[in-house]
Amino acid sequence: MQTLRGNHYDVLGIEPSASGDEVEEAFRRCVLLYGEGSLATYSLLEPEEVAAARARVYEAYSVLRDSDRRREYDSTARPFAADEPEPPAVEEARPEPRVLPDPVTGADLRRVREERGVALKQIAQTSRIGVRFLEHIEADRHGQLPAVVYLRGFLQEYARAVGLDPQRTAGSYLARVPRR
Amino acid sequence: MSAAQSVVLPTRLPTPSPVASRRIWSIGGGKGGIGKSLLAASLGSQLARMGKRVVLVDADLGGANLHTCLGVAGPPLTLGDFIQRRVERIEDVAVDTGRPGLRLISGASDFLSAANINYAQKIRVLNRIKALDVDVVLMDLGAGTAYNIIDFFLASDISLLAVVPEPTSIENGYRFIKSALYRRLRRAAQGDEVRRIVDCALDPKNPSGIRSPLDLLAAVERENPAAAEALRRELRAYQPHFVVNQVRGEADAAIGQQLVTACARHLGIRASYAGFVRYDDAVWRCVRQRRLFVDDPEGARPTEDVRQIASRLLQGENLTLPWA
Repeated sequence: MQTLRGNHYDVLGIEPSASGDEVEEAFRRCVLLYGEGSLATYSLLEPEEVAAARARVYEAYSVLRDSDRRREYDSTARPFAADEPEPPAVEEARPEPRVLPDPVTGADLRRVREERGVALKQIAQTSRIGVRFLEHIEADRHGQLPAVVYLRGFLQEYARAVGLDPQRTAGSYLARVPRR
Repeated sequence: MSAAQSVVLPTRLPTPSPVASRRIWSIGGGKGGIGKSLLAASLGSQLARMGKRVVLVDADLGGANLHTCLGVAGPPLTLGDFIQRRVERIEDVAVDTGRPGLRLISGASDFLSAANINYAQKIRVLNRIKALDVDVVLMDLGAGTAYNIIDFFLASDISLLAVVPEPTSIENGYRFIKSALYRRLRRAAQGDEVRRIVDCALDPKNPSGIRSPLDLLAAVERENPAAAEALRRELRAYQPHFVVNQVRGEADAAIGQQLVTACARHLGIRASYAGFVRYDDAVWRCVRQRRLFVDDPEGARPTEDVRQIASRLLQGENLTLPWA
């Protein structure tokens, strides 16, 4: 199967003139496309191909969201796909195991979300979960959160939006939530 | 048969004409039970409301039920009668649906082997459909990836691929889109060696490691660059439109654009997103009552979705979602 080729802009599917907001938007779209639960890629790509694509997306995003790194990249980047290096090895690039302790806290989730540049408002838009609830999750305000049966779904949506494994993230977070 | 009708059958399947005012639309999807027939019936109905003269063709040979979706009785004459030459003119098996501008060529109560029409019969159906004096011919295709289904899909000016936001449907949708493309490439392939490579690609476990149309083009390029260019033209011209049915939220609606992106990036296929239809209990209630939801005020939301798809396709536009 064709892996993601081209420069960082190609990987995010944007023009080199894209604004910061467009970079963020494109990254969010790619996180959804190559996320764990993505319907559009699960039967098309092998798990390792999805992971490699995700790695390239994060790599591209980490450069293009940072104006200094982006400027440096623009001054040296080669425009042709054939000149681009192969994607890094999957094990090196998968961010989840390194960034998430278990059990995971709301603060951990917030850090991942901010690292990946996903706004709470964006998660609210795609998941239809109110921003207020998302804030309660990140602040570990367990008393303000809905019953576990609903909360699990909220957490899975949250995880999906930031490119984490939905089941694992939800299970890990819920381990710290007192049962009522 | 008259002398004028006893023409020599063409050796190749007819291809859509980009400039014809009469347009052939088809709805395929690979998987059954995803609402293809309801989409066809409602889309046909909306096109007729927009003033188009439309004929719906129930090309789900062997599983036809479009008449039930439209709430009309199974007509006495059907596509099977035309195929079996019990009726000479295809126009004579088109019946009124009670909706101005919308007629139906039903496949109801066809002979049990209707799904297994032969090549000559298929060509005859396609040629006569293309000669119908209407604005839009809309074909409802059956489930699966049989050549009879795919050939109708490929002969269309607008090929719609229906999916619902479920893994099984998307999986079958990809299988359908790839099967249709390989069929198209096989027909355009020049030379035995190139045909052999295309045939090889049909097997997902082929030893050559060809897993996508892009891999296939690379393999042909190594053998025969000129033939690869011909295949590349076919690939560029292949532009199916996704329709996402039974959408329950923005995330579902966004799947259409994700499919388009995934097709472009990983298959090299230039698909587009025609639109989505929201899930609504009113649709289900209408099906139970053998009525079409576009006729029911409670089905206003999905009706509007279908109208937008029809309008977009007529104007040659695609759907882009600001948040997807």
